Amino acid sequence: MNVPTELRYTKTHEWVRLDKNGVATIGITDFAQEQLGDLTYVELPGVGDNVEAQSDVAVVESVKAAADIYAPVAGTISEINKKLEEQPELINSDPFGDGWIFKLRPDDPSEIDMLLDADGYEDMIPESEE
Amino acid sequence: MKAWAVFLDAPVPYAAGVALQERLHAARLAEAIPDTVLFLEHPPVVTLGQRGRDDGVRLPPEALRAHGVELARASRGGNVTFHGPGQCVLYPILRLGAHEADAHGYLHNLEEVALRTAADFGVQAFRRAGMNGAWTDDGKLAAIGFRLKRWVTLHGMSFNVNVDLAGFDLIIPCGLAGERVSSLARLLGAACPGVAQVRERLAHHFALVCGRELDIVRAGDPVPSALAALLDPVETRISG
Repeated sequence: MNVPTELRYTKTHEWVRLDKNGVATIGITDFAQEQLGDLTYVELPGVGDNVEAQSDVAVVESVKAAADIYAPVAGTISEINKKLEEQPELINSDPFGDGWIFKLRPDDPSEIDMLLDADGYEDMIPESEE
Repeated sequence: MKAWAVFLDAPVPYAAGVALQERLHAARLAEAIPDTVLFLEHPPVVTLGQRGRDDGVRLPPEALRAHGVELARASRGGNVTFHGPGQCVLYPILRLGAHEADAHGYLHNLEEVALRTAADFGVQAFRRAGMNGAWTDDGKLAAIGFRLKRWVTLHGMSFNVNVDLAGFDLIIPCGLAGERVSSLARLLGAACPGVAQVRERLAHHFALVCGRELDIVRAGDPVPSALAALLDPVETRISG
């Protein structure tokens, strides 16, 4: 299971990357996309929405599953990945890259340091025997 | 890891089933209860998936009601389906991710439970690429649709034992035009087991495939107090 070391993680399987401009990019992990199966639909948040930490901001849907996506920290949604409206499968094929879901300007960027690091997240997810 | 399985013998109205799942989900998130799997049957109901696509329903709600069938919207993934007596419904309230077994994917695991259960009764069921569920040469035997909220599951799987398949004629099951739906009764005739027998096998395989050690609460068994507090004495009873 791919868990990039430079990212931060939540217990609800989002990943977070804080860019130099102070904006955080958020997506779901490889583990998460694998659990959901082939995604068919993504409901994105609105740009400019103020969101609380751990509030549900998006929904991803696969052929058989629907799952909420949570804001890892409080902030303002600054950008959404419009490509997902046509190509939700980008989350399956490149969860840490082209499959990013939204960007958020955190109220307090230091809250991101409190999230799980790659080791902490890896301890949380089960290892496949395969 | 210990988990509970609860066998509800009295048919559960669809809305009451959803409400019970939501109470269990909240309790599971609060760590007040372990992972819990409900086994139940619903009175006849057509349910729509998360996005509410109703183009798969062949009749307007009033006409469904005239057939004795309710129409409900569900927060699960997947498209339209039918539930009715004679169909064993599994609603696992599971925290995903903490078990080795979960690494194979929850959808895959639910399918595996259905395939193994069918095999126990001499029915060869299989997966079809891109068409989730358990299939037989005669049509779909088990349908799957679930929801994840904070990575605890809701909704789940329905397995056709001796349900009246005419209920599926009211809809285009899972939005798949031209695909048939089957049941153990149709495949096995007089040799078809009862729902109670099938649910025992589903629970057995669920425990193995999903890596949960199930404490089963059946009619007449003592009910853990944390669970009793969440059941509704009228609409979600263990005894039939």
